Amino acid sequence: MIRSFTATLAVFVLLLGAAPSGRSMEVLRPYLPAQAAPSPSPAATTVEQTATPDTETVTKDAALPPIVRVNVASQSFNFTQPWRKNSQVLRQGLGVVLMDGRILVTAELVNNHTYVELEKPETALKAAAQVEAVDYDANLALLAAPAAEFLQSISGARLDDSAVVGDRVEILQLETNGTTVRTPATITTIEVGSYPIDENAFLVFKLSAPLQPRENSFTVPVFKEDRLVGLVMRYDQRTQTADVVPAPVIQHFLAAAGSEPYAGFPRAGLSFSDTRDPQLRRYAKLPNGTGGAYITKVAPGSPAEASGIKVGDVLLRVDGKTIDQDGNYEDERFGKISLAHYVSTVLQAGQKIPLVVWRDGAEVPLEGTLAPRDRSKMVSPPYIFDAPPKFVIVGGIVFSELSRQFLREWGPNWAREGPFRLVYLDRYQSELPPDRGKVVFISSVLPGPNTVGYENLSFEVVEEVNGRPVKSLADLAAAVDSPTDAFHRIKLAEDPGLVILDVEGSKAEEERIKRDYRLPSMRRLDGAQ
Amino acid sequence: MPVRLRLLLLLAVFFSANSFGAPGPAASMVRISTTAQQPDYLVPWNPGNVGGGVGAGFVISGKRIMTNAHVVSNATFITVVKEGDPTPWEARVLHVAHDCDLAILGVYDEKFFEGTKPLEFGGIPELESTVSAYGYPIGGDRLSVTTGVVSRIDFQPYSHSEVDSHLAIQIDAAINPGNSGGPVMQNGKVVGVAFQGFSGAVAQNVGYMIPTPVVRRFLQDVEDGSYDRYMDLGATYFPILNPAKRKALGIEEPDRGVIIGSVFDGGPAQEKLQPGDVILSVDGYKVYADGKIDLDGERTEMAEIFERKFKGDKVKLELLRDGAKQDLTIDLDRPWPFDMQARAYDKRPRFVLVGGLLFQPLNRDFLDAQKDVDTRLRYFFDFYVSDHLYRERPEVIVLSEILKDPVNTYAAPFKGGIVDKINGQRIKSLDDVAAAFEQPGEFHVIEILGEGRPIVLERSALAEAGERIRQRYRVTTEQNL
Repeated sequence: MIRSFTATLAVFVLLLGAAPSGRSMEVLRPYLPAQAAPSPSPAATTVEQTATPDTETVTKDAALPPIVRVNVASQSFNFTQPWRKNSQVLRQGLGVVLMDGRILVTAELVNNHTYVELEKPETALKAAAQVEAVDYDANLALLAAPAAEFLQSISGARLDDSAVVGDRVEILQLETNGTTVRTPATITTIEVGSYPIDENAFLVFKLSAPLQPRENSFTVPVFKEDRLVGLVMRYDQRTQTADVVPAPVIQHFLAAAGSEPYAGFPRAGLSFSDTRDPQLRRYAKLPNGTGGAYITKVAPGSPAEASGIKVGDVLLRVDGKTIDQDGNYEDERFGKISLAHYVSTVLQAGQKIPLVVWRDGAEVPLEGTLAPRDRSKMVSPPYIFDAPPKFVIVGGIVFSELSRQFLREWGPNWAREGPFRLVYLDRYQSELPPDRGKVVFISSVLPGPNTVGYENLSFEVVEEVNGRPVKSLADLAAAVDSPTDAFHRIKLAEDPGLVILDVEGSKAEEERIKRDYRLPSMRRLDGAQ
Repeated sequence: MPVRLRLLLLLAVFFSANSFGAPGPAASMVRISTTAQQPDYLVPWNPGNVGGGVGAGFVISGKRIMTNAHVVSNATFITVVKEGDPTPWEARVLHVAHDCDLAILGVYDEKFFEGTKPLEFGGIPELESTVSAYGYPIGGDRLSVTTGVVSRIDFQPYSHSEVDSHLAIQIDAAINPGNSGGPVMQNGKVVGVAFQGFSGAVAQNVGYMIPTPVVRRFLQDVEDGSYDRYMDLGATYFPILNPAKRKALGIEEPDRGVIIGSVFDGGPAQEKLQPGDVILSVDGYKVYADGKIDLDGERTEMAEIFERKFKGDKVKLELLRDGAKQDLTIDLDRPWPFDMQARAYDKRPRFVLVGGLLFQPLNRDFLDAQKDVDTRLRYFFDFYVSDHLYRERPEVIVLSEILKDPVNTYAAPFKGGIVDKINGQRIKSLDDVAAAFEQPGEFHVIEILGEGRPIVLERSALAEAGERIRQRYRVTTEQNL
């Protein structure tokens, strides 16, 4: 007898290379207070707010900077047991009070929040706050101000979008007693880099700074004199490097948050590679010195596809900006920066953009209209926050819809340790047929008389139920609601191939399952997108 | 999460040292020394590392020596030493069965067999009956005999090929590295050949021997002068334990029938069986709902029926398809897609090298040699059979290495990718790679699966680069198809 080895060998688990994305997450962690590090001793306990950018020492001051503590109680959903929530986690960060009295924080601070509270540093006065806008891609959130008098003594901060490489800035933190601590830092790099949501790349400022762990440190603002330069989202203790969400991204977020509905960050929906290879240039008949980015992928339904751009085209100009052979344009302030920044942050959704591509040895003008990405069309959404996962239970078998949030239940090494077929489908979802729909799978079995022989099912992908194709949990629920005879026939995309349940038996089991497993309901279809 | 660990440890060395006229199997035992050359899948034109090994064997009828396949795999030179004779005699492999880890050796000079006593084979020992394992495990140089009872008789994976499972007998006699190839005796007859066990870190006193039905099948298979390997149905089947499922499928008898999950191309069941078919009986034996049959008074895996057959033999199935009974006869054979996941022996790695780009087919040995395996490659290996990936790509060709040279310096990011097309032709085998590069044209265009940008090599630059790369990297040959 021969057996195929399917995703069972530990050898391969160990050999697997880097996780598909989130490459920097292993080194760069959110700057959590728990990570102790040798801290430089403060040079002075109190000095006036005259700490000049030249001073190397960490200084404290008694003046009131435009910051408040933000205390967040958060409770995430459990995706493997989608009817329950995980235990509460408390986070603390610093929010920046803006001119209009709203408070800016990172989105990571407030995800899955159940309660958000502001605390004034000097008086420890507290007030509940509301999350007004949040963008998990750009890792930014805006909190509505509580009663106006709460922030009376604090004047709002302005954005400084003029910072460039080499500038000296200050990272603000608070002592437990409310004293402000200012750590001088230098902007060492400005580039397009990854954000906490793996697949996103936006502008990142990298700072070199000897930051020490303090309690309110999940979100820490960076100022240049009295203007906001950005928010720290990650800090690497070893290299003393802080990654900052910079002012240009914040500016775009604030503008988008002002529109109804939230406009977000536009996406072109294309991938490109460099055209440095002279052999490739000759093959594409690209004249020397023209630069250009080789288009490698055009997402279906994206603005790029609508513009008529094709794989194999070489993108020469976007909105009048010349694209070099690495896919960079010349930014007025930052110099050479990836086109991704221009499209997502400099431009706005809805804008019409003229393009020029090189195709078959000639320039071809095109036009595209930018739009934010429609996540509802993604096979496996990269995150689900603030909404419960969907599920359907039929006779004890629990069905779920694939998302990366589900895979993250396997911890930081989910790409290696998660169910391999689902990891594969998530990772290569852009290569699936455009009409693939969502991936519905058996996430667990609540054993009972109905499920005898099915106890070991886990993570098999469902293809059809009662003769109907299943492209979402809603499809599955509808198919289950209209059986063709006395049995539910659930066809799987892989072995063991077929699961059959008794229609009456499944119905009769519902009450017992709800009671024994303490489930509030047998299905939830109005959950997260 | 179920994660199956690779627990099986190959055992080696069985070495005979005994006085004259000793009773028992001592007069039949053979110490086998081999020099083996392991192919280098990372640098496939390299001759490979040469190493030595010592194994055991025993004399059987017809002036032959029985041992494990893993004792003589990849051997370039084999000598045997018998009891009481210090002379090494040069031996050769007559037949080897990598799928059931058995081999038969001959000795060039048949005088070797003078004074030896061929051992005879017995049957399957009873559970709990006592057996003795003869061998030369670690702990000393002289013959070791350990005794234990038969603990379990069941199907087990055979770790030598990694994909085969056959009947195996678990014994609790201490079996350690050094017992491999040695006979396990009961009442003066061989009832098994010791071959694998668990590492001590995992379990104690769990050793396995190849039982005589497997040994006899091997001996019978090679009677015509060649080994045809084990036969298989080329389909997966599953128990039907759920009452509703039994009812919906129209199975009237309780406890009966297994359901077909997948049917693989290139196997004997292709276009005969269908997923969802229920097998009720095999060659007249009733199939229980857990996939077992009553055979020779034992509850045994249904697969044992196929296991005992030979190439070209037929098997009769009684089926339930769409609620109606029907009979089916299948000519058994070995489905080829599984070979990709099996370990290969006595074979040179196949490859094509063009412009410093190394193309190799994906298989277990190749994969094991890699330091890093990305998700896509792992998927193509793990799901090659179950997702029928072999249909589109009988061979999955990997751009496995790039020998750095000016001609390919921009191709570096594509290392480890699966080759989709070369010069517009879809690549389904290594031969396709060699053929595609023969095509005329100014450019060679290599498309990697999932990558939008092709690798472009100018033909004019290749000739010069080829010579440079051959010299710089000491490439002895540019392809082995």
